[in-house]
Amino acid sequence: MKIIINDTEYDCKEGQKVLDVARANGVHLPTLCFNPLNAQARPAGCRLCVVEVLEGGWPGLQSSCTLPVADGLKVSTRSRPVYDQRREVVELLLSEHEQDCRNCFVSGDCVFSELCREYDINGVSVCSECPNRRQGCLLSRGVLCLGPITYANCNAYCTRRGYNCEGCHSVMKNEDLLRFGLAAFAKAEFTKEEILEAARVFSFDGVKVLEKVMVEEGFK
Amino acid sequence: MKEININVEHLTRVEGHGNIILNARNGKVEKVMWEVSEAPRLFEAFLRGKPYHQLAQITSRICGICSIGHTLASLKATEAAMGIEISQQSQLLRRLAIHGENMQSHILHLGYLISPDLFGTGSVVPLVRTHTDVVLAVVKLHRLANEFSEVVCGRTTHPTNLIPGGFYKTPSPLKLKEYRQKLLDLVGTAETVAGIILDNAGALPDFTRETEFIALTAKDEYALYDGVIGSTDAGTYPVEEYASVVNEFVVPQSTAKYCKNKREAFMVGALARFNLNHDKLSPLAKKWAEKFGLKPICHNPFMNNVAQLVEFVHSIEDSVSLIDRLLEDYKDEPRPEITPKAGRGVGAVDVPRGILFHDYTYDKEGICKQANCVIPTNQNHNNIQHDFEAFAPQLLDKPEKEIELNLEMLVRAYDPCISCSTHFLNVEWKR
Repeated sequence: MKIIINDTEYDCKEGQKVLDVARANGVHLPTLCFNPLNAQARPAGCRLCVVEVLEGGWPGLQSSCTLPVADGLKVSTRSRPVYDQRREVVELLLSEHEQDCRNCFVSGDCVFSELCREYDINGVSVCSECPNRRQGCLLSRGVLCLGPITYANCNAYCTRRGYNCEGCHSVMKNEDLLRFGLAAFAKAEFTKEEILEAARVFSFDGVKVLEKVMVEEGFK
Repeated sequence: MKEININVEHLTRVEGHGNIILNARNGKVEKVMWEVSEAPRLFEAFLRGKPYHQLAQITSRICGICSIGHTLASLKATEAAMGIEISQQSQLLRRLAIHGENMQSHILHLGYLISPDLFGTGSVVPLVRTHTDVVLAVVKLHRLANEFSEVVCGRTTHPTNLIPGGFYKTPSPLKLKEYRQKLLDLVGTAETVAGIILDNAGALPDFTRETEFIALTAKDEYALYDGVIGSTDAGTYPVEEYASVVNEFVVPQSTAKYCKNKREAFMVGALARFNLNHDKLSPLAKKWAEKFGLKPICHNPFMNNVAQLVEFVHSIEDSVSLIDRLLEDYKDEPRPEITPKAGRGVGAVDVPRGILFHDYTYDKEGICKQANCVIPTNQNHNNIQHDFEAFAPQLLDKPEKEIELNLEMLVRAYDPCISCSTHFLNVEWKR
């Protein structure tokens, strides 16, 4: 039996799912709920593995982990609707996610920050990409690092190399995320003015939100 | 007689936006103009009210190519204003930083922006198919220059490692040793590329117009990081007197200011540095200058490309000898601590496109009160305009396409970085 993924033909067997065929042939499909150690259990819960069925099946977006192969099935893993759908899924998942990235043990190797980079989402702080927690966060070493309040997607280029984050991807405009970030500064003994002064170099709107949150949180 | 109207709106393969206008009738040039249409950048205004340690961070964003040069000029100005002394080791490391940037910028300009003119194509993309080896060699050299800058400066662009008083983190000696070897390994590749450019150098037009050349100059080295202002016409000036050397003025067709010193215009850049400091070049660089027939004082602006190539070779050789000197006695230096002081300071660095000045005034808390940046391309605009006026009449009997190409090549030879050079001006129009 043969199916077509992204205009390329792949051999497959009766009973396989599209995700298995894609994985076996090195076609990238992101998943969060699929566990290769327990491949029988397929909750189809994260909805990140969606593909667009173009021919030979029910047309539209379907989760590839539960989509059985059929002769003449033609799917796309990178069409515009797929991209938009996945982007929305990541945003929804993030809205439910406890984002205390600075204290999280997967920081520096976080699947969410990877997805944010891939789907161009401003949703996580530099801390989620920064591996320094293991050797000691720059803030706890007395360096004013803007990582906790700055949007990621740079793969923490500077902090990985031991330099403080200057906040060049701009200060986050999301109040909830800023609250988590400010908690990091509270322990590090920087004054409100010092943080705002550093944040103003690359941000304008974000700093306004930051000031508001600082007042609400009673940050000094 | 034929009528020629050339209007290149937004010249390609340069950084920023500039236009070329040429109108000629009956074999006479009626109007030839180099127009800069880039919007003002307002950087000097950003700097007012910012603390001293943020200034280098901000000014490095003036440009993505000369970011290391802007950082160094900014740091030198701050250090001069506050009387900060930096260690011998930091001085040498900063020289490595400027070499790294020089290599990055020169190979980018020669390999991707000038080579299409030499091979007669519109861009570097068709060359990938026809001259694969050359393009790959250029990419290899560019990559090395980028990585080398990263080792010294912390990032390939917008350096994080350079701070007032020295270095945030002393670069690792093991990495320096590794890159010393890598630089030596690529000397051969650099020479191959230089050879190919030499074979095609015939495409560079032969045109001379006498002008003044201004660059940093020093007694014991090919000045890039440190020195005094030197001029081919008027000897040397101290760096603090830069304002009386550049004499900025405003013209209606340009958002960038124009400059002049002793003559109607002057040129800065690789050719100016070569003309002033040629005897301090490294042996291999001297050899390549000779092969290209580049002799001081060269008044052909197209030879700026060749001077860049010579400097590229010099930067490789000089970096290797600087690393040798550094590693003789290499220490892990602590992060400098600075007490801000009031004062005014000027920093001058010779960046890839020419001499760059930063001038800051601080109050006693280290807050910037006034800032002025004079960018190399700024200083070249007037010379480009005067070259146009001299070059255009020589071209008139050629087909229109060729005139256009020649004028474009002339601008490109200066390697202009137009968006850096535009500043906000209060212009009062008299109508």
